[in-house]
Amino acid sequence: MSGESSRIRRRRKVDYPTLGLWIALFVTCLLWAVPFLMMFLTSVKSKADITHLSTWDLPTQWLWGNYAEAITRGNLPVTGLNSLIICVIKVPLGLLLAALAAFALARLRYRHTKLVLGLFVVGSMVPVQVALGPLFSIMLETGLLNSIWGLILPYLAFGIPYQIFMLYGFFRAIPAELEESACLDGATTFGQFWHVCLPLAKPALAALLILDVVGTWNEYAMATTLLQSQSNWTIPVAVQSFSGQHGTEYAQLNAFILMSALPVMVVYLLFQRYFVSGAFSGALKG
Amino acid sequence: MPARASTRRSRHYGVHRHPVRKSLPYLLPAGLLYAVFLLYPMVASVGLSFQKWTGFRTAEPEFVGLDNYVRLFTSDPVFFRAALNSVVWVVLSLAVPMVLSFLLALALNRQMVGRNLFRSVIYIPAVFASITVAAMWKWIYNPQFGLVNQTLRSIGLGSWAQQWLGDPKIAFFSIFVASIWQGVGFNMVLFLAGLQQVPQELVEAATIDGAGTWQRLIAVTLPALRPTVVVVIILTIISSLKVFDLVMGMTTGGPAQSSQVLALWSYQQSFSSHAFGMGGAVATVLLIISLALVVPYLVWALRGEEEN
Repeated sequence: MSGESSRIRRRRKVDYPTLGLWIALFVTCLLWAVPFLMMFLTSVKSKADITHLSTWDLPTQWLWGNYAEAITRGNLPVTGLNSLIICVIKVPLGLLLAALAAFALARLRYRHTKLVLGLFVVGSMVPVQVALGPLFSIMLETGLLNSIWGLILPYLAFGIPYQIFMLYGFFRAIPAELEESACLDGATTFGQFWHVCLPLAKPALAALLILDVVGTWNEYAMATTLLQSQSNWTIPVAVQSFSGQHGTEYAQLNAFILMSALPVMVVYLLFQRYFVSGAFSGALKG
Repeated sequence: MPARASTRRSRHYGVHRHPVRKSLPYLLPAGLLYAVFLLYPMVASVGLSFQKWTGFRTAEPEFVGLDNYVRLFTSDPVFFRAALNSVVWVVLSLAVPMVLSFLLALALNRQMVGRNLFRSVIYIPAVFASITVAAMWKWIYNPQFGLVNQTLRSIGLGSWAQQWLGDPKIAFFSIFVASIWQGVGFNMVLFLAGLQQVPQELVEAATIDGAGTWQRLIAVTLPALRPTVVVVIILTIISSLKVFDLVMGMTTGGPAQSSQVLALWSYQQSFSSHAFGMGGAVATVLLIISLALVVPYLVWALRGEEEN
């Protein structure tokens, strides 16, 4: 008994560097979590508590009603639904279109394939603000300004390049034999895409899906430019509802921010394992 | 980065085997959207930069030649501040958060208690919208009730309490701190993905040969991580030049335009001052900087593809 416990103690002693590393990581994570703790505490305080108590004090009264007020003030039933509709249409459609194009570039090659790929990829490097002015006037002229479709179309255009870039790497790495055997089985080109290439790219598609859901849900610059009436706002645009001429409603604001990130947090936690393992492996294989 | 994949298939998928006609149906939907809603507006921005336009439907754009650029470079001090800040943001992002995320990835690549929790805590800020992160940090920096100043006061460092976003000398850096908090997680995940590609046989062989932790890092891990590092550098540069939401939400470029960046300045010229021509000129400069930094990488990456 005593021999065994001393062996354990000896083994633990060797691991001081790891213990130090663990403590350093723990402190870092604590530092990273502090803003969230503070947001939560603020979100359940009354106005008086916010101005009279220290940030670190617990509220004298837990005001869960702040969340209900935040839902009303941020018009969450409407803005949330707008964000949801945009995500549900944009994300799958964009991924499909990008996958089709990446498939053509990777597997149906002709002389200028690389040039076309390059032309696409340049788009992933352009800050959206470069195009905002003309985008605004296109939407003004076509009457799409201030509509959900007027936002979905540029969202698709700005999402596609990066996705093509990532999927291209994946599709290139698929062994030609797989396609050839599909060909012998009488598969059409689309069959090769749908039954061979797409299933093999599942990890990449899952990773791109998460990235795209997060990116679309959170997009602000285009939304604030192209959506004007409050009934069309998405969640990020609605953040401004909490600052008015009487200052900022901090409790409601923080409640709103926490609620607004909940859906994407759930998506991230659900698909988390795809994210690190092999998510970018196809694209990163140098 | 596209894979420099095996050359086995090049025989079958070489030049001319598939006529353009066959690939068009696959390319066209994405291509059309891309051309109409990204490429065209981008080029049109350059066109706008030679014009004067208020953005109202009733107003006609008027051709003014290089006037907007002349004004930008001779009588717009904000433009220089914004350009400088954008470049500084790129440099700082390459130095601080990138190194931090690399160290975190190295540490969290090891087996340890609570590893997944640590990873999630570091990553979670990345799923928050930047505009909400801006609102959150504006509250954290609040001079009276904010977390930073209150914590400083409560530990006896009250003299360090600042107007974090109200002082022109530090506002820009205060915003940058928020971006570190938000951005480190994503780069860490990229590095973690890259670390899984490091051949374990090589690491073990180096260990058997008596290489220490440090030597293994320099001789084995870092060279194997090269493609990942390149990707992270490129993504960092791109996202740095795109910085908009954080500045917009925390200071709208102020105080006294001290935290202005190119993306926001272009937006404000167009949509706040109704000077779409000036906005287009700033956008064009931003475009040129982006292309100058990123196109060399693109050419390198595509040339690295096997030559059919």
